[in-house]
Amino acid sequence: MRDELTIKSHAGYWLAALLLLAGLVVAGVGFATGDVFYLRLASEALIFGGLALSVDILLGYTGLLSLGQALHFGLGAYVSALALIATQSFWTAMGVALAAGVLGGLVGGFIANRVRGVYFALITFGMAQVSAKVVYNTRSLGASDGLIGVPVLDINFGFFSLSSASPTAFFLLALAILLLLYFLAAYLLDTPFGRLLIAVKANERRVPFLGYRTATLRLGSYVLAATIATLSGALYPMLRGFVSPELLFFSTSGNAVITVILGGAGTLVGALYGSVLLTVIKSVVGSWTEHHLIVIGLLFMVVVIFLPNGLMGLIQPGIRARLARGGRR
Amino acid sequence: MTAQRAPAGPILDVRDLSISFGGLKAVDGVSFNAERNRITTIIGPNGAGKSTLFNLISGALAPRRGRVLLEGRDTTGAAPHRLQAAGLARSFQITTLFFALSVAENLRLGAQTLEPAARLWLPVGSSVRARRRVDELLERFRLTDKADYPAGKLSHGEQRRLEIAVALAGAPRVLLLDEPTQGMSHGDTAETAELIRGLASDVTILLIEHDIGLVMTLSDHVIVMHQGRKIAEGMPEAVRADPAVQAAYFGHV
Repeated sequence: MRDELTIKSHAGYWLAALLLLAGLVVAGVGFATGDVFYLRLASEALIFGGLALSVDILLGYTGLLSLGQALHFGLGAYVSALALIATQSFWTAMGVALAAGVLGGLVGGFIANRVRGVYFALITFGMAQVSAKVVYNTRSLGASDGLIGVPVLDINFGFFSLSSASPTAFFLLALAILLLLYFLAAYLLDTPFGRLLIAVKANERRVPFLGYRTATLRLGSYVLAATIATLSGALYPMLRGFVSPELLFFSTSGNAVITVILGGAGTLVGALYGSVLLTVIKSVVGSWTEHHLIVIGLLFMVVVIFLPNGLMGLIQPGIRARLARGGRR
Repeated sequence: MTAQRAPAGPILDVRDLSISFGGLKAVDGVSFNAERNRITTIIGPNGAGKSTLFNLISGALAPRRGRVLLEGRDTTGAAPHRLQAAGLARSFQITTLFFALSVAENLRLGAQTLEPAARLWLPVGSSVRARRRVDELLERFRLTDKADYPAGKLSHGEQRRLEIAVALAGAPRVLLLDEPTQGMSHGDTAETAELIRGLASDVTILLIEHDIGLVMTLSDHVIVMHQGRKIAEGMPEAVRADPAVQAAYFGHV
């Protein structure tokens, strides 16, 4: 018996392992050449990849289009920045972000899941806009300037410690955390819980008759996505040393959706690849012209029309076929 | 309460069930009993309120008046997922499958409630009981060689069979089948009738059916609805001979 969805999930694991390998090569080369710029850029790609990952859980698996996922990403960035300024502790910041992720997810999910379809998209958009404006106008959060002066960290892992000031060390940390979040999400989505989210996307009407409450499933999906977005966001101030209200703006949410479509919705790993791809395009095209958004817009249109399964739609089928052949009993 | 043995008597007891849409009394004071492991068929002309009655019993709609007792417990207006847990499942007149997912996955989703809730968080492969149930249903509904097909790629007849199988996957004690043979060829209809007959040995079946020949051969008990009301019930032959039933179908009352 071969299970198409489990094979698809395993194909993702292989692609994530490939990403890890590529990451290690990048780290090695970056370290050897003493590079700062590209390692920072790669770290940023991974962090925004985490945001895209959370969008894919909602869009690609549960069938919910969030246009305000930056809300949870920004929440993570701000609580992390505040915790870091107060305590200089990486673990405190991540712990606070985890709590904020779950709580924010419960509140946001409770509100957004009152409605479906286009209205879900609009309400997530609205929640993020309202939050962005509140932050933008709150002096204690730095208002339009954001929070600056996030300290350099010595992150203690017990038997070793690393500094957030080292581009290589921080890149490796970001790589480890993002892959951990990816594997957590990939694991959960290949459990019966995850399959029920896929069932909600496929035909929400039938799900209650299978014995499951769809409101609970949608909330579960939202909390999972929000937590991943928040934890990813928490890494941002460690990388950049500051946070700004732009992190909560629509451009951030919209970029995450574009990333998911480019990488391939419903693949998870595509979100990480999409983010790397988008970052590379932005930086390469951005060095030729400041109108790189035109290029990205055109690329987005081309992908939507000709590659509805994104980058992963090109790569994954081959890996899946191989796994299906190898995995047959 | 839950530990108590199911009481003797009807497994499903419907009392004075009513609902209106606007001014239309879609279901109007309908009462009946369904006996354990029998096939009770609801017939009636189009618009008689049969599907609405199913929606009321299966939790898709909440009644304005009346009660539904499942194994002696009041389940009036209970949500579908609670009714599923209480042992009642249904199929739909318009095929309502997970078309993008494989046939086996459709069934696995239906069978998941056979597993302890903690299995929800373990890899799909560890749900062994659900997997066994899937294999059993694939065989019974002759879909084994289509197990890996997306449900959307099946023929109409196969989709109708899968529709029943998905409802049956969670091992309900009461199964509501809304026109299971709708749109099927004669051959398929006969086969499906055979299947349904076979199910009745361990499930109580409530059936909506238009094919009168099928109703006559399949049913233990027939309920006739017309304009939202129950106008007759009894053994199939007796119901067919009832003048009120003949008037409802061929003339006006």
